[in-house]
Amino acid sequence: MFKKIKWFAIIFGVLSLALFYFFINPNEASFFPECPLYYTTGIYCPGCGSQRATHQLLNFNVLGVLQQNVLYLISLFILGYHFIVTGINSIFKKKIYNYVYHPKTPLVILAIIVVFWVLRNIPYYPFNLLAPN
Amino acid sequence: MNQHPPKNYLIESILVTIFCCLPFGIAGIVFAAQVNAKFEMGDYEGAKKASEEAQRWMTWGIVSSLIIGLFYLIIVFAIGGFALIGDF
Repeated sequence: MFKKIKWFAIIFGVLSLALFYFFINPNEASFFPECPLYYTTGIYCPGCGSQRATHQLLNFNVLGVLQQNVLYLISLFILGYHFIVTGINSIFKKKIYNYVYHPKTPLVILAIIVVFWVLRNIPYYPFNLLAPN
Repeated sequence: MNQHPPKNYLIESILVTIFCCLPFGIAGIVFAAQVNAKFEMGDYEGAKKASEEAQRWMTWGIVSSLIIGLFYLIIVFAIGGFALIGDF
C-alpha cells in the first residue's frame, strides 16, 4: 500500500514536471531556480543548462539539448544503455555484460565530467559552445 | 562467491550530478568506482559497503534537490504574493 502511494507520487511528480518543462522555456521565464554555483561565483557547473536542455528535449529539439548541455545527452545514452541491457537480461534470461559494472567505467565518467566542467568555463571560441546559453 | 555485483548506483549518481547537486553526485560516482573495483578483486563485503555508501549519497542528493526545489517554490510564491499585495 505504502509502496503504491510512493510510486503514484513519483509518477505524478515526473509527469507534472514534464508538462511544466514542456510548456515553459526557462530562457524566457525569470522564476526558474538558478544553479547556486553559477549564482554565487559565475562558474558553470557540469549540470548547468539541464533545465533548458529538458525543455528542448521535451520539444524534440536534440540540437537545442546539445547547445545547452552535452553531458545531458551523454547521460541519457548511458541511461538508455543500462535500461536496455538490464531489460534484455531480465526478460530473455540472458547474461549480456553490462559495462556500467566494469571497474573502469565510473572513473572514465568522472574524468569526462571533470574535463567537461573545465572546458565549458573557458570563455573562448571552440569551448564556449559547451557553455549553456 | 556471489556472481552478481552489488548495485553501484552509477546511473543515479550521474543523474544527481546533472540535475542537482554536483558534490553528492561526484561522491556517488567515486563510491560506484569502489563497488566495481572491490567486486572485481573478489572483496564482496567491501563492495557491498561501498554500495551502501553510494546509496546514502544518492539519497542525500535526491533529498536536497527536493528541499531546494520546495524552497524555490516557496520563495517564488512569496514574491508573487507580495507583488500582488503591492498592486492592490
